[in-house]
Amino acid sequence: MSDETNVTATIAPMPPMAINWIGLGTIIRREWSRVWRVPVQAFLAPWISALMFIFIFGFVVGGNIRHIAGHRYVEFVLPGVLMLNIVNAAFLQSTSQIYFQRFLRYIEETLVAPLSYIEMIIGSLTMTIVRAVVTAVGILLIGMAFGATHMNNVFEFIFWIVAVSIIFGLLGIIIALWANNFEQLTMLNVFFIAPLSFVGGVFNTVSMLPPWLKWLAYANPFFYFINGLRDSMIGFDESPPFLGYGVAFGLIAVLGGWTWRLFSIGYGLRE
Amino acid sequence: MTTTPAINIEHLRKAYRTGTVAVQDLSMQVQPGDFFGFLGPNGAGKSTTIHCITGIATVTSGKIEIFGIDAVKNYREARRMIGLSPQEFNVDTFATVTQIVDWMGGYFGMNAAQRKSRTDMLIQRFDLTQHAKKSFRELSGGLKRRVILARALVHDPKLLILDEPTAGVDVELRLDLWRYLQELNAEGKTILLTSHYLEEIERLCKTIAVIAGGKIVRQGPKEDFFTVPGGLEKAYLEATGHRADHVAAGAA
Repeated sequence: MSDETNVTATIAPMPPMAINWIGLGTIIRREWSRVWRVPVQAFLAPWISALMFIFIFGFVVGGNIRHIAGHRYVEFVLPGVLMLNIVNAAFLQSTSQIYFQRFLRYIEETLVAPLSYIEMIIGSLTMTIVRAVVTAVGILLIGMAFGATHMNNVFEFIFWIVAVSIIFGLLGIIIALWANNFEQLTMLNVFFIAPLSFVGGVFNTVSMLPPWLKWLAYANPFFYFINGLRDSMIGFDESPPFLGYGVAFGLIAVLGGWTWRLFSIGYGLRE
Repeated sequence: MTTTPAINIEHLRKAYRTGTVAVQDLSMQVQPGDFFGFLGPNGAGKSTTIHCITGIATVTSGKIEIFGIDAVKNYREARRMIGLSPQEFNVDTFATVTQIVDWMGGYFGMNAAQRKSRTDMLIQRFDLTQHAKKSFRELSGGLKRRVILARALVHDPKLLILDEPTAGVDVELRLDLWRYLQELNAEGKTILLTSHYLEEIERLCKTIAVIAGGKIVRQGPKEDFFTVPGGLEKAYLEATGHRADHVAAGAA
């Protein structure tokens, strides 16, 4: 080893309850770096998947379908396809970042550092939102290439992208804390997220369903996410007023509280 | 005038969810500036105690203070003073050497300029310059150990906890590391060292504690362990409930 050039680090004392902004930023930097090691898996895969959905269902099949609520079928399908990919991006980002930290044990780097649980959760969720937004922008551009250019309310659009990212980011954290192998990590996606998202109105309106199935649509939270995003883009809304917002805020509160509780007791994190 | 201990542990108990009690009613103190050797057989509770001190494990009951600060209630303030080199490599193995050290500085709230100067200095100090852009998984065992040590030192902690830092490293690095640790200790850093190499403990430490079955079975100045023929080895084996002649016979 070389002789030491003595450089001491002067770290400003942190008052109690102050936010460790640099620590928070470092979690985001680390995750950004990790995601960019796999750009094909993180970004190209959902964009190609969305391209295929839009091409087949919106362009090829949609060319033979009548307009829905005054909009071409490709414009009707785009919000649903977008939401499918946002849900996937958010869930995969948060499960992979927490699970790999546990699997390779580098979660211990943050456990021994002066980081609060809230900072660790917010750090994870921020990168989840970033990945979801980048995914969404790419799919929007693909949609525009197919002539789907409507944006009814940009603020409502941003709300749904961010809210759904947070919901599935939190759900992903909980699953990643619980899972003890890769099989368990994918179970929620296979048995819950994929089926519910496909029957949540990606390709159809609720009015197209037989009466006995309509109640199922209204009981499916994915319906409100897709409906909310569709309203923000083409102004087509089948949900009772504000119910979608209530579902979104309710899920964020419940999952956020649950995640905070798991972190505070060290579930899946500390020995 | 009494000085505040660097580590003060009172009646620490750690039971895992499986029901295994790894540490029971453990009390010990490490004084500031000490070079403290923490000895014990495999499974005695050394790493569990260290994990409780650093926050990797939750504490079932008891009290841990770092320079007078409660390590559970005021964990953020307490952890700022601790640098940990764990027994097992716990890093993102795809990250580069520079990233691993720099990120740790970031978690401890160091700004970019501080991180750059400390990271550069430590990479140079541990002869990692030509490996700085390599990922951790590309490094040899000895180089990996150096990265872990550099990471533990990045925020210039007052208390350095080294859990078997020389396990699996070559003689040259071990000697270099001993010299460096002695320099750090001379500069005032408190060091808690666990090792299975009695020679290492004998050479470096001023105070020694022996843990067995989750309890401290002997503690005192190093000199106290050399008052009988057979020195540290005999004292250690007797403290852990073994007789040196039995161990030697078993090995023969």
